[in-house]
Amino acid sequence: MAGSEFALTHFQALLLFAAIISLAFGFLGRRRPKDRIKYILWSFFLFLAVGIGIAWAMYPFSR
Amino acid sequence: MADEVIPQTHEDAPAQPPDAGLSRESRALAIGIAGWLLPGLGHALQRMWGRAVIVSLTVGLLVVAGAMMRGNVFSANATDAFDTLGYVADLGTGSFYLAARALERDGADVSHADGDYGTRFLATAGVLNLLAALHAYEAARGRKA
Repeated sequence: MAGSEFALTHFQALLLFAAIISLAFGFLGRRRPKDRIKYILWSFFLFLAVGIGIAWAMYPFSR
Repeated sequence: MADEVIPQTHEDAPAQPPDAGLSRESRALAIGIAGWLLPGLGHALQRMWGRAVIVSLTVGLLVVAGAMMRGNVFSANATDAFDTLGYVADLGTGSFYLAARALERDGADVSHADGDYGTRFLATAGVLNLLAALHAYEAARGRKA
């Protein structure tokens, strides 16, 4: 796929992954629209928080 | 979403003939398999349009992103247990597995972080679709919606 490749940074990949999975979890896990939105936002926030937290935890061992 | 049918639970269901349970189970199994083969179809068959669209869209996005990031699309000739697990996960996308192979004409490139992330995106697409197919199966049985 030369010329049409994705070149994402680590953080962009995390954002994309978190957004897609949170959307799917929200729709599969909840029925009412309001509950879905809350679940999607909460799940998205947790993905980012855990991802960034793990990244910072690994930082001292990166060099 | 408001347009979705709310299946009855077993407790709420009216009295059924003895073979109705088997028929319902067969239908649920068919719906689960349909959902696996074509992401979103399991929910679409039950008129759960919102979920059908989202499952199809999210699994499709993960597959396209994973393939464009040149992730590893595992094949049947696995060399170790991890390759076999990856193949099983990739197969979870059903027909989208073929799309991933078609999209990734130049093969995988996991020498960069993008390719490695792409491999995870593809595996996640498969596992997510299996979860959605199981959800559709359970909904058809009246267990959850």
